[in-house]
Amino acid sequence: LYMVAACSAVPISDLLDRASQRSDKLHSLSTTLTQELDSRFPPIGRAIMPRPSMCHTSSLQTPNDKDQALQVSEAELLSLARSLLQAWVDPLVVLSISANTLPHPAQNNISNKIQELQEHSKSLGEGLDILSGKMGPLAQTISLLPYTGGNDIGQDKISKLTNFHFLLSCFRRDSHKIDSFLKVLRCRAAKMQPEMC
Amino acid sequence: MMKKVVEAVLLLFFTVHAKGIRYSLPGKPTLTSCRSPEKETFTCWWEPGSDGGLPTTYALYYRKESSETVHECPDYHTAGENSCFFNKNDTSIWVNYNITVVATNALGSTFSDPVDIDVVYIVKPNPPEKVTVTVMENTGWPFLRVSWEPPHKADTRSGWITLIYELRVKLEGEDEWEMHLAGQQKMFNIFSLRSGGTYLVQVRCKPDHGFWSEWSSTSYTKVPDYFHREKSVWIL
Repeated sequence: LYMVAACSAVPISDLLDRASQRSDKLHSLSTTLTQELDSRFPPIGRAIMPRPSMCHTSSLQTPNDKDQALQVSEAELLSLARSLLQAWVDPLVVLSISANTLPHPAQNNISNKIQELQEHSKSLGEGLDILSGKMGPLAQTISLLPYTGGNDIGQDKISKLTNFHFLLSCFRRDSHKIDSFLKVLRCRAAKMQPEMC
Repeated sequence: MMKKVVEAVLLLFFTVHAKGIRYSLPGKPTLTSCRSPEKETFTCWWEPGSDGGLPTTYALYYRKESSETVHECPDYHTAGENSCFFNKNDTSIWVNYNITVVATNALGSTFSDPVDIDVVYIVKPNPPEKVTVTVMENTGWPFLRVSWEPPHKADTRSGWITLIYELRVKLEGEDEWEMHLAGQQKMFNIFSLRSGGTYLVQVRCKPDHGFWSEWSSTSYTKVPDYFHREKSVWIL
């Protein structure tokens, strides 16, 4: 409650600026992680990896190009970003647990980065909660996108690596969406600061 | 139809004997790169393999994620030879494109290895534009003010793409460039100039998630001779 009270004095444009710095970092982290995994990915993994349309968030209708994105209202863009972020709370736990026993030479490093991902994602979520409180009921609507993959990502080495990689590539796409929506919002809110956009 | 093919093959057979050359299927083409300058359109390029000694045509086919429909390249001309340009209407983001190039001659077709791309991961903007360098003066000491504009295709105003800039500066005749990161600013001041020196300045940009652009073309600026003033200050 204290946080909310303290933040209520901060203009929306500043909150969005901070939020998009977080989402930027979140996506960059996921890119670094993907590249790290790519470097030692078994060729067979590429062939058996599920298609991106199998991601648990792919049922959420989001804009697919600039024209579509710019037509979406502020409240709805925020609602999309929040829904996506919320959908990753559980699977990030799965990733974090699996990272501890991932059969990969950079396992330790990957594990630490997943932890960072979780922390960034949590603090971004808190920031977006505050923002949505200021932007009205539509911004507070969340679409539920349950993750039904369970806690176990696989038995053998190949399926562990493949499923881990698949989940991470889904997260990478979603974090890019979140980041893009927040940056469009940031520019709409920052109309007074032509330097920014 | 069948008769035509037979005729073609017979014709081919005789030509082979007539000239003593061995004809073959086209070599395997390679998709070399795909690039989007602004997250709104993109282009893919390929390198042809050998032509097998016969006239060879190339076609690019693509299939978008979660669709079974195969489309042919919408535009082979805009981006030059061996390329396919996807305009705004043909470009979606956060969607994988599975792309294959097919080389065909009279003997048949050869497919390239397919490539999966999502446009958001191949963004490399054009270089910054209207780079201007002006000699300014601050209490008798000159400095260079470098300013520029984002590449006109990149929509930075709506926030669809966010660019950061880097510039490099060197004195004419020297080997080493001096690098400066400007962040999101579209202006940068350079101090500590050499009197009478000619400076070369270039600027490049990088999107929030993507690759550095090429450097802009070089701007040359001569710093006026202010050595006498510099010297007198030292004496004082």
